[in-house]
Amino acid sequence: MSSLNNLLLPAVLFFALGCIARLIKSDLRFPPDLAKVLSIYLLMAIGLHGGHELAKADFVIALNSIMWALVLGFTLPIIGYLALLMTRKVNPMDAAAISAHYGSVSAGTFLTAIAYLDSAGVDYESYPLIMLAVMESPAIIVGLILAAKARQSMQADKNGLSPDGTGTVAANTDDNNGGFGGLMRDAFTNGSVVILIGSMIIGAISMPSGMEKLFPFIDDIFMGVLCLFLFEMGMVAARRLGDFRQVGWLLAAFGIVMPLVGGMVGVLVGHYILDFSVGGATLVAVLGASASYIAVPPAMRLAVPEANPSFYLTLSLGITFPFNVMVGIPLYHGVVQSLAT
Amino acid sequence: MVTLYPEKLINIITNDALEDKLVDSFKKYGASGYTILRARGAGSSGRQADMTGFDANILVKVIMPEERMQDLLDSLERKIHKGYHLTVFITDIEVMTPGKFDKTLN
Repeated sequence: MSSLNNLLLPAVLFFALGCIARLIKSDLRFPPDLAKVLSIYLLMAIGLHGGHELAKADFVIALNSIMWALVLGFTLPIIGYLALLMTRKVNPMDAAAISAHYGSVSAGTFLTAIAYLDSAGVDYESYPLIMLAVMESPAIIVGLILAAKARQSMQADKNGLSPDGTGTVAANTDDNNGGFGGLMRDAFTNGSVVILIGSMIIGAISMPSGMEKLFPFIDDIFMGVLCLFLFEMGMVAARRLGDFRQVGWLLAAFGIVMPLVGGMVGVLVGHYILDFSVGGATLVAVLGASASYIAVPPAMRLAVPEANPSFYLTLSLGITFPFNVMVGIPLYHGVVQSLAT
Repeated sequence: MVTLYPEKLINIITNDALEDKLVDSFKKYGASGYTILRARGAGSSGRQADMTGFDANILVKVIMPEERMQDLLDSLERKIHKGYHLTVFITDIEVMTPGKFDKTLN
């Protein structure tokens, strides 16, 4: 399937419609919180569906997938961080916060990839779904460690410049950034992780007859809900793209190059190491390529307040997400396909 | 004629990711209660008009007697020094039931 065909998926077309609605300054507004409601549904449906399949899964492969998801989640942000520092356009704090987004994953992109594979009639394993759940959190932790190091060295510089100590703010227990333990807990008890893993367990242990009753809810209407979700996300992305000028060309280029790098690492892991089918390896590539815009921004706002939110939001939501949805997914699929034949 | 009593109203505009952190400070520094509203607008951090529920802004209101609010204001100032984006402004208000603002949150 060529990339043109990807653009003709209803879900992707609705994403484009959302972008256009913003660009022509339409008065179209979705009710507040609709995207949140839809994303809860989408995570729940995909979790139930995947859990149902995973009940029949091979334990060793599942464990192996989890391990490689952790490797991806811990490695990608470090690659991103070093690349960002090389651009010399952002300070280490911003680089840490941005790279945390790129090591984490976007469920919206993953679901679009599922829609793409479904309509192309390509089969895929359900293991990438566990990887999706696992990969939400490690990058947040790496981002926090990188930010803590950057904070230390910046503080040292500052103290060197102003020995009177104006740079040091009185430490107070309630004002430390939540403590590392607290942030770790936040990273792993994140709402989307709870919905996804919880639904997977429910899908895996429920009686098959009970699950069958759910199929209209989790299967039949799934693509329609995804269209609605991407419709709104198109509007959100287009609004973010308006901040493009603040970000500058070099950083914008990072928003396209980084998913390509992550996608290729994902292809290698999915195809060569985990030995998945073309569909499964494509999904792993999408996991490597996608950048979070739901779970990571609030975590960074809380833990890395020094970083500029318009950098990471514009990059992940305004540039990388549209790029992956429209160009990336068919590209990664094409690469895996050419490797497989 | 109803008797009115002077109090201070602390207003904070910030991102909703900071809500829990602020509420912790309110408890720690003796606020008697708080009210949180969804907010949108624009300012030094650019436009905050996202009503999708992701990355939204909030307006937080706390009523306190002037003599008790200094500790809370200090903690807000420390947060601002750390880089958190908080817009804080304080207004004089008059209330009908001052007893409501004596009891601190658990």
